[in-house]
Amino acid sequence: MKVQTRIRWWPWAAVALSLVVAFTLSMISPRDDVQGELVRIMYIHVPAAWLAYVAFFMTFVGSLTYLLTKNLRWDRIAAASAEIGVFFTGLTLVLGMIWGKSTWGVWWTWDARLTLTAIMFFVYLGYLALRRTTDDPVARASRASVLGVLGAVQIPIVHFSVVWWRTLHQPPSIVRPDSPAIQEPLMLITLIVGVVAFTIIYISLMIKRIELTHLEDQLTEIEHSTDQPVAGEAVVVPELGARP
Amino acid sequence: MTTGFWHQVRAVVHRDLLRERRRGDVLWVTIPFGALALLLVPLAIGTDASLLREIGAGMYWVIVMLFGVLVAVGKASRETLPQQDASSLLGLDPAAGFVGRTVSSAILLLAFESIVGVVAVGLYNIEILAPIWLAVTILVVAVGLALLGTLTASIVNSTTAGTALVPLLVAPLSVPLLLGATQSYDGLRYGHAIVSWVSMMVAVVIVVAMIGVLTARPLQES
Repeated sequence: MKVQTRIRWWPWAAVALSLVVAFTLSMISPRDDVQGELVRIMYIHVPAAWLAYVAFFMTFVGSLTYLLTKNLRWDRIAAASAEIGVFFTGLTLVLGMIWGKSTWGVWWTWDARLTLTAIMFFVYLGYLALRRTTDDPVARASRASVLGVLGAVQIPIVHFSVVWWRTLHQPPSIVRPDSPAIQEPLMLITLIVGVVAFTIIYISLMIKRIELTHLEDQLTEIEHSTDQPVAGEAVVVPELGARP
Repeated sequence: MTTGFWHQVRAVVHRDLLRERRRGDVLWVTIPFGALALLLVPLAIGTDASLLREIGAGMYWVIVMLFGVLVAVGKASRETLPQQDASSLLGLDPAAGFVGRTVSSAILLLAFESIVGVVAVGLYNIEILAPIWLAVTILVVAVGLALLGTLTASIVNSTTAGTALVPLLVAPLSVPLLLGATQSYDGLRYGHAIVSWVSMMVAVVIVVAMIGVLTARPLQES
């Protein structure tokens, strides 16, 4: 069996272009009256948080669809999305801590949004840890899919925590039940461009990660294929009827 | 075993409770450990009676969450692979097995919550408000934790990590229950409506129950 590899250039071109546009806009957007230059963290922090939600939602969709169809492609989508989601949740937390230190004076505060985001991070860290405990792709997919569906219960709780509780964290910046929290048009446009750029990054990373997972599965299949020598070349299987 | 669904559930509950009666893990190990944890907290944070009264209910729910996981998981993970195979060959419906294990876990968790609750009220001088709502909260938390524990134990069953992974999976997933329980108590204390918090917990319980029942068969087959 031959492992097929393809290199696509367009995802990375799209990523580079969108990042350049987002970075330029974030530099020319006005400084905030209260937070000053620090507000520019928002142009990475909010899109990273958005990406984490999208990624975990896709993990939910992939897991649920796998349970319904038993098609391993959906499990690969769920796994790839969870990995990206964990990375961007970690990035959101770190950026939030830097922002918090500058605005609130502490690295961490027991804010509902912060705490629940950290908990969501651990839910999906557990999901990734679970995936590493089984080699069989089908068993791994069945188990991880149940957890992928179960973990999605957290997502709306994290998002609406700033609405349900009186917290230090600001309300949702774009997706808000009544009206957007940002009034300055250029700041809002920059933020939306940032969200679009990060979504393109997500799509590109997903394409590459799914390809990589597919290659890993092919490699595992080759390693476990029956035409391989059982104990290497040192042991030769005796032939029936052969004379010494 | 070709009997009806609820008959199978009753058989599993009976088996699990009989096993607990013989081994006494919850009664003689987990409950004393939970009570000991409640006793240790004031040694760490100070013995100010008003402070302990203030945080008592929260501490109680944290102990219930952390030790409740041990009750639910310990019982569910004790079933070995040959025992599971025997159950399958006898025709046990996987969903009935899941419901039965959940019910027996919930019964044990109710016992755990009740006994540790009495200890917490005694040690921290916690005020008991609206006993009916408190009973509802205790029941919903017991069922929710039992569901989460049983489901995650089924997920990690026969993996290389064994049950070591279960607390990492259950503890963050039980946060909606912890929030609902603590916010309900605060709501009663400050005269706020708690129906929304209880509803959130019930919604979580229903979602987890549906996931558990619907995925029981694929999990068993995997």
